[in-house]
Amino acid sequence: MGTIQYEARLAAKVAMRANQYFGKNSVQTNLPISKALLAAMLTAICLEAQPRGGPPRLPDGSGRDLVQRVCGTTCHGPEIVAGKGQGKDQWLATVNSMVSRGAKISDAEFSQVMDYLVSSLPPKAMASPPQRGGGGLTAGADDNHVVDRAASTRGRTIYIAECITCHGPKARGVSEGPPANQGADVVRSLVVLKDRYGSTVSAFMKKGHPMQSGNASAGLSADQMIDLAHFLHDKVGDTLRSGPYNKILNVLTGDAKAGQAYFSGAGGCTKCHSTTGDLKGVGAKYDPPTLQQKFLFPRTQGFGRRGGGGFATSKPVTVAVTANGLTVSGVLDKLDDFNVSLRDSEGEYRSFKVTKDVKVVKNDPYQAHADLLDKYTDKNMHDIVAYLESLK
Amino acid sequence: MKTLRAFLPLSLVVFSLYGQGLPPAKWQQPPTDSWPMFNGDYSGRRFSPLKKINDQNVGSLSLSWVYRITAPGAIKATPIVSDGVMYFTVPDHVWAVDARNGREIWHFQWPSKGGIHIGNRGVGIYGKWLYFETPDCNLVALNLKDGKERWHKPICELDQMYFGSTAPLIVKNHIIVGVSGDDLDVPGYIQSHDPETGEMQWRWYAHPQPGDPEAKSWPSVETMLHGGGMVWGSTTYDPELNLIYFGTGNPQPVIAGDGRMGDNLYTESIVAINPDNGKMKWYFQPSPHDTHDWDAIQTPVLIDGEINGQKRKLLAQASRNGYFFVLDRATGKNVVTSKFAKANWASGIDAKGQPIPDPKKFPQKDGALVAPNQAGAANWPPPSFSPDTGLFYINSADAYSVYYIFDEDPKPEGWGGNDRGGWSEGILKAIDYKTGKTRWSHKWEGAGGPRSGVLATAGNLVFAGDPSNNFIALNAKTGEPLWHANLGNSLSNAPISFEMDGSQYVMVGAGDTVWSFVMNGK
Repeated sequence: MGTIQYEARLAAKVAMRANQYFGKNSVQTNLPISKALLAAMLTAICLEAQPRGGPPRLPDGSGRDLVQRVCGTTCHGPEIVAGKGQGKDQWLATVNSMVSRGAKISDAEFSQVMDYLVSSLPPKAMASPPQRGGGGLTAGADDNHVVDRAASTRGRTIYIAECITCHGPKARGVSEGPPANQGADVVRSLVVLKDRYGSTVSAFMKKGHPMQSGNASAGLSADQMIDLAHFLHDKVGDTLRSGPYNKILNVLTGDAKAGQAYFSGAGGCTKCHSTTGDLKGVGAKYDPPTLQQKFLFPRTQGFGRRGGGGFATSKPVTVAVTANGLTVSGVLDKLDDFNVSLRDSEGEYRSFKVTKDVKVVKNDPYQAHADLLDKYTDKNMHDIVAYLESLK
Repeated sequence: MKTLRAFLPLSLVVFSLYGQGLPPAKWQQPPTDSWPMFNGDYSGRRFSPLKKINDQNVGSLSLSWVYRITAPGAIKATPIVSDGVMYFTVPDHVWAVDARNGREIWHFQWPSKGGIHIGNRGVGIYGKWLYFETPDCNLVALNLKDGKERWHKPICELDQMYFGSTAPLIVKNHIIVGVSGDDLDVPGYIQSHDPETGEMQWRWYAHPQPGDPEAKSWPSVETMLHGGGMVWGSTTYDPELNLIYFGTGNPQPVIAGDGRMGDNLYTESIVAINPDNGKMKWYFQPSPHDTHDWDAIQTPVLIDGEINGQKRKLLAQASRNGYFFVLDRATGKNVVTSKFAKANWASGIDAKGQPIPDPKKFPQKDGALVAPNQAGAANWPPPSFSPDTGLFYINSADAYSVYYIFDEDPKPEGWGGNDRGGWSEGILKAIDYKTGKTRWSHKWEGAGGPRSGVLATAGNLVFAGDPSNNFIALNAKTGEPLWHANLGNSLSNAPISFEMDGSQYVMVGAGDTVWSFVMNGK
C-alpha cells in the first residue's frame, strides 16, 4: 500500500477513534505533510538542541541581577531557573512556593522578579529546549529529545489510528479489557526515554510491532515514525511536573452558608474584616484558588486576578523598639536574635542592637491567620472559599 | 559522662576499622585532627569531642579565611578534611583547598551530560582516592593529590531521570552510593562499588521482590517496580553489628497515591543492611503510604545510650514528616515515637510505633491543609547528637501548606499533584532521645528560611544557622545564643570542626563561600 493511500485510510480511522477518546472534531486529518518542511524543522530542532557549553546563565533583562541574587545563590544555582520556561500563573506558583520555603524577597522585589521571569523565561516555544523536570529542575539528559508541536500533532494522529487501543489515551498502557489489547506503558518505556528523534522508536517499529490496522509497523514511513516519536515524547513531558496537568483543578466544593457562619462565628474573621468594607466584591477580584491561598496564607501573592493587572501587596509587619526610654516604631525591616531594623514614618532606616535592655514589640497584622491554621478543618477551608467566592 | 563512656567502645571500633587498609598512619587515630567523612564519623552524631572552643570563650571566635567558588550553585556538601586539606563539591565540581589558609590546591570539573543540579553532598575518601557522584549518573574517582580522574562508572540511567547527589560512604572495601530522582516512576536503590576497580558489588532496591510478604504493601507488581524510594540521604554504620543504616525517599507517583494503596514498602523507610552483600536485616517505616513527598532520608543517628537503666544500641531519626523515632538498631524495634513539630496528617500510632496516615489529609482535588509542608519539619540538613548532654539537635520547621491532586487519571504518573503556598517558622530544637520530649527550643525570627545542619561539640556548644544569614553558637544545655556572625548568605550545609596546628577550627558553607573560624591563641 502506498503512503498516500495508507494516510487516507489512517485519516478515516483517526476521525473515528478521536471521537471515541477525545470528543468530536478533536483531530484534524489534513495529511499528507510536507517532507521538506519537516526536514527543515528537524534541522532547526537539532541545531537548537546542541548540548549547552559552559555554565548556564540567566538571559539578559531588567531584574536579572535581582533574580540571580534571590533565586540563584542560596538554595540553588541560576541554572535551575534558566532551564525553565513557563507562563505567568506557573511562575507565580513557583515563586510563591519558593517564598514559603524561605526565599528572601520584598513585595517590590516580588513584582520585579515576576516581571523578569514572565518576560525573559516564557513558555518554551517550538524548537527550543524541552520543558523537563519540575520546580525549575532540569531532569534528564541535556540532549533530550525536543518536541516539535506540529510533528507531535501528526504523531498523535498515527497514535490514535494504530496504538491507542492497547497503549491508552495518555500512552500509560492499558491493564484492563481483553489481554490482547493490554499494551505496555509507553511513557515509562526505555525505547521512548532513550529515543532522540526516532532513533530507537523507529528501530523498534521497523523490527515489527502489532498495530491496530493490522498493517506491518515497518510499513510506516521514516517521517511517520519520527512523528510518532515526537508524540510519545510529548506524553513523557505531560507526565513531568512542568506538564499540563500541573495545575489546581477545582477548589469550589464548600458550602457558602456554612462558610458565612464560620466567618462571622468561630473564625472570628469579622474582628478585622467586613464583607461590605475591605472584602466587598472579593469574589470578583480573585479566582477561587487565589481566594483559598490568600485567606490561609495572606502573604501569598495571587494566582491570577480576574481582569489582570498587578499583584496584591501584603500588609507589612510593624515594630516598636524602646531603647534608653525612647520608642521608635515603623515598618519592620529585619529582626533576628541580635539586631532589629525598621523604616519609621518618615521613611528613615533605623537599626538597633537587641539587648536585654531593648524592648522589641512586633505586630504582624496577619497573626490571626497564622493562629487559625491550627484550628481550621478542611471543611471550614472549603466553606470559606465558597463564601468568599459568593461575594461578587 | 555515663553516656559518653557508653559510646566509647563503638567509637574505638569505628575508628580502628575506618583506618583499615588505609596507608596514612594518621587515619588510625580518632578524627580530632580531621573530618574524614560526611558525618565526621560513622555514627552520624556529628559531635566534635574538641573543647578548645567552648561556652566560656566562644565570644572570641575569629575569622581565619574565606574561600569563594566560581561555579554556580550553593555549597551543600559537608567538606571533608584530611591531612590539612579540605575537599568539597557543588554539582560537577570538586575542590581541594588548603585548610590552613583557604588556598586552592586543585579544582576538578566534570563535563556534564545533564541531570538535576540541585545539590551535591560531598565526597568520600579512601586511601589516595576521592569519590563523588555527578548529576548525570556517574561515580567518579579522583586522585587526592592532584584531582586527576582515575575512573568513572555509571550508577544510574539519566534517561529515566535519575541523578546523583549523595556523598559516598566508604565502609571497608565498599563505596556505598545512593541515587536520586523522582520525576518519573522508577525504583530507588543503593549500591556498592569496589574502591579499586569501580565495579559494582551489589545493589539493594527499595522494594520487596514479587512474592515477598511485603510485596502485599503494593496493589500490583507493576506499581511496586515503579514505586520510587530514592536513597539520597546520609548512611551510618555500626561495625559491631556490621550494618549500614539509611532512609529511603518518597513513593511514586509522588502526590497522587490512589493508584498505589498500601504501605508501599520499602519507600519512606529506615533500613538496615549488611554492607558486604546488600542483604536487608530489618526495616521501619516512618511514613507508610506517603503522599506528601516526605522522604525519610534524614540521618539515622547511632546512639549508644540507656533506656530504663538498660544499655541499648539505638538509632534516632527526626523525620521530615514531623515525627521523632528511636529504634533498637540491632532489631529495628521501636523504642520512642514522638512529634517534634506540627504534624496533622496521622490518625494515631500503630503497634509498631509507625504513624497511621489519615486519608482525610491525603492530597485532595480541592486541597487539604497539611502540616508539615512539603519542605518538611526536617530535611536533608543534618542533625547532631551530643553524648555529653544526651540531646538530639535539629533545625526544624513548623509549617503548613495545601496539598492538591492535579491529575485525576486512574493511573497518575510522576507527581500528579503538589502543594501550594504556605506558612512556616524555623525552630532549633534539643530533643531528649530517651523520651522524645523537647528539652529546649529556640525559635528563629523571620519566616521559614533555609535550615542549616547542626554541629554539637564537647565545648557545650551547638553551631547552627538562622533564616537571617547568621551563623550562631548556642549553649548546648540551654539554647542561649553566645556568638554569631552574619555571613551574608544562609548556611547551606552543616558546620564541621577539627584541630590543626594546636588550634580548633569551625568551618561552614554559606551559598558560594566556605567560611573558616578559629580560636586563636593556645
